[in-house]
Amino acid sequence: MKKKFQNSKTETVVYFICSLVGLLIVWQLAVSFTSLQKVMPSPFVVLGFIGQSLTQKIGGKILPLHILASLKRVFVGYFLACIIGIPLGILMGCSKTGKAIVKPIFELLRPIPGLAWIPLAILWFGIGETSKYFIICVSAIVSIILNAYAGASQVDQTLVGAARMLGAKPAQIFLYITLPASVPQIFAGLQVGLSSSWMAVIAAEMIRANEGAGWIITTGMESGNTVQILAGMISIGLVGLLLASLLRLIERGLCSWNIQGR
Amino acid sequence: MISCKHVSKTFENNGQKNEVLKDISLEVAENEFVVILGPGQCGKTTLVNIMAGLDHETAGSVTVNGKQVDGPAPERGVVYQKTALFPWLTVEGNVGFGPKMAGLPKKERKEKAKHYIDLVGLSGFEKSYPIKLSGGMRQRVGIARAYCNNPSVLLMDEPFGHLDAQTRYLMQEEVERIWSQDKRTVVFITNNIEEALYLADRIILLSNCPTTVRNEFKIDLPRPRDYISPEFLKLREEISKHVETTE
Ligand SMILES: Nc1ncnc2c1ncn2[C@@H]1O[C@H](COP(=O)(O)OP(=O)(O)OP(=O)(O)O)[C@@H](O)[C@H]1O
Ligand SMILES: [Mg+2]
Repeated sequence: MKKKFQNSKTETVVYFICSLVGLLIVWQLAVSFTSLQKVMPSPFVVLGFIGQSLTQKIGGKILPLHILASLKRVFVGYFLACIIGIPLGILMGCSKTGKAIVKPIFELLRPIPGLAWIPLAILWFGIGETSKYFIICVSAIVSIILNAYAGASQVDQTLVGAARMLGAKPAQIFLYITLPASVPQIFAGLQVGLSSSWMAVIAAEMIRANEGAGWIITTGMESGNTVQILAGMISIGLVGLLLASLLRLIERGLCSWNIQGR
Repeated sequence: MISCKHVSKTFENNGQKNEVLKDISLEVAENEFVVILGPGQCGKTTLVNIMAGLDHETAGSVTVNGKQVDGPAPERGVVYQKTALFPWLTVEGNVGFGPKMAGLPKKERKEKAKHYIDLVGLSGFEKSYPIKLSGGMRQRVGIARAYCNNPSVLLMDEPFGHLDAQTRYLMQEEVERIWSQDKRTVVFITNNIEEALYLADRIILLSNCPTTVRNEFKIDLPRPRDYISPEFLKLREEISKHVETTE
């Protein structure tokens, strides 16, 4: 079983590399042989630009520091969303009346994209960092709450009964049954929330900022610099991928009981 | 000691009444192994839940060791039809769950869990998660978990219903062995006559829904029993006649 697992893992890596190389080739061919070359630089020019900006400043900062600035905003906003959202969702899942009152509100909020909050955030908090934290937080929090709620409310009642028969008191049932049983679902919410907040920071920076990955794209647009725009977009994609993988790694560690064949 | 007196249970769903148990009276003596034999869907799990304190009878009363049952209590251990192990805990964590709830220090808890893991023949699997175990092994964990909490009464609800025939025989022998080594008052539910005969001091036969006690059989065969001895087969024949007439 273990061997098979490792094989499929290397398989995934091989395919991943193949698809990246394939994308580069198609991009390069399209630029070389079609009229796309008028609006699109070759991938190697973009990659070269990324490499260069690891040491050379764009608007006062090298690229990694811009990304770091965006990451810092995400971590503040996302962290807030987690510490408010997870307990709130679990409480909703545990109390029927609490859920009946609060759940419709979040079902209504769910379809509103984080970006729709930008105008309000700017009116309330100005154009500084606070409004960005706010936008990121509201973008992430809804799915975090709704998933934590789903996890806590769908706990198998047979397991609760089994714990009670073994002498568990209500507080122990919460701590030793409800919480661990909700963890996989909580992580599903954290995963969605993280990608929402990464998207939200870029959007917020595109509207008002003087640093960050989103700012790189907008200034690229203002100066007609396609290479810079593409370099910004690729960095955003890579960092988003990295964040999601990191979270998945943590989840694997915490939920190994939930994974067949480990 | 368990005593059910005129226990009835009627479920109500949207005004629709479903009478499942009707005037069930039975007694189980201390350290007696009683098997309740009943057809599918006749309310066996409902009866176990009432004895456990997880559900309430609509009429009658249940006492265990002279006390009225009015909620779950660790003196009554349950082994479930669908194992109901905690999937996020290892074998050791599952078996030691009851002692942990009671506040036993970690070291003593581990020793105790180890003792019962060894008893059910799962040494070496202490750190495994339930998802990695076979059906038979999971039921062993369920039995160890119930035993480890030191209940005076064990309620086993069709624990082997989902196992293949081969594993089922093996587990019947295991339960017999474990019970002989560490006697408790046991109520064991099944719909399998052979299983009942192999394990029971006394068999209580239930009718179809609404369920009442149909018949009782005292089984005096020496243990461990032989599935193909003439006495065994004769009793099996006799009981199956009664089972058939309940249909
Ligand atoms: N919570 C409930 N609400 C309403 N009806 C119920 C409930 N629990 C059980 N019943 C009904 O009671 C009847 C008996 O169910 P029960 O699970 O006790 O039977 P069983 O003998 O254990 O069945 P099986 O052989 O499948 O294990 C069923 O018809 C079921 O529909
Ligand atoms: Mg049942």
